Amino acid sequence: MKVKVVSKILESNERIAEENRRVFDINDVYAINLMSSPGAGKTTLLERTVELLKGEKGIGVIEGDIMGSDDAERLNRLGVPVVQINTGGACHLDANMINEVLDDLPLEQIDILFIENVGNLVCPAEFNVGENSKVMILAITEGDDKPLKYPLMFQQSGVLLLNKLDLAPYLSVDIEKIERHVTLLNKEIEIFKCSAKTGVGLDNWANWLNQRLA
Amino acid sequence: MHEASIILNVLDIAEQHCSKNGFEKIDSIKLRIGKASGVMLDALYFAFKAARIDTPASGAVLDIMEIPVGGHCNACKKGFSVEERYVFACPLCGSGDFVVTNGRELDIVELEVS
Repeated sequence: MKVKVVSKILESNERIAEENRRVFDINDVYAINLMSSPGAGKTTLLERTVELLKGEKGIGVIEGDIMGSDDAERLNRLGVPVVQINTGGACHLDANMINEVLDDLPLEQIDILFIENVGNLVCPAEFNVGENSKVMILAITEGDDKPLKYPLMFQQSGVLLLNKLDLAPYLSVDIEKIERHVTLLNKEIEIFKCSAKTGVGLDNWANWLNQRLA
Repeated sequence: MHEASIILNVLDIAEQHCSKNGFEKIDSIKLRIGKASGVMLDALYFAFKAARIDTPASGAVLDIMEIPVGGHCNACKKGFSVEERYVFACPLCGSGDFVVTNGRELDIVELEVS
């Protein structure tokens, strides 16, 4: 006998992602899924962002790493609630991993929740975790060929932070080409050029965040 | 990307529908996979052969329809379908003002059970 099914193969992830989103909405939490390659500067950028917003906004962080708790310790030092997820080998966070740690965060005190995904330019883009926005970081040191080599993440993200701008004088990277190719892939994406190290451009990013919370 | 976990999800969904309808065996599973979904079909077939062992689908056939990337252009008002995995401009008029409507499918569409 034939049975018509018509369901999304990843529907179980989507269902849990929707559940997470409801929890965020009920608690007035704006959740950001922060994605990039390893070493693009996710944690440093988060540290600077926390410093910029702290005192004005309640911030929480979920740290996703294959192993270790270095990132969580770095953010914990800044006095914000942090939960570390160790995926034990998995290359991305999925909705269920987030669902399991939501009880460990004081969501009622959090306005903005940063979910720092596992460093990987491919897989995290495939899995919704219930976030309000996907934000990605590309360090200019990664090269101007990356948007067309890893198109999905650029297509899925609402914001691109082009980080490590302070290194531009030492590189032959074509930043204008990155912006052109990213815009080809995703007309809606907002691009902020910045340096988490020097702080250049982070005001635009902070403004964008504040507008989301307004 | 995640062919093994995709197949595990497929088997889960198939088994649920099979037992819900009062059947014991899954004979075939039909999927619709978009060309821009990031899934490698060879890896999907390979994962299926390994994952179906000791399940109601142990003798099942996997039937995959590959869906090309397609969209609709807002400039020339026409629909299009392409062989490539990504579209950067309308293949008919070259405009960048288009929406992609197909090619990201990752669906299970039909089962045969007995």
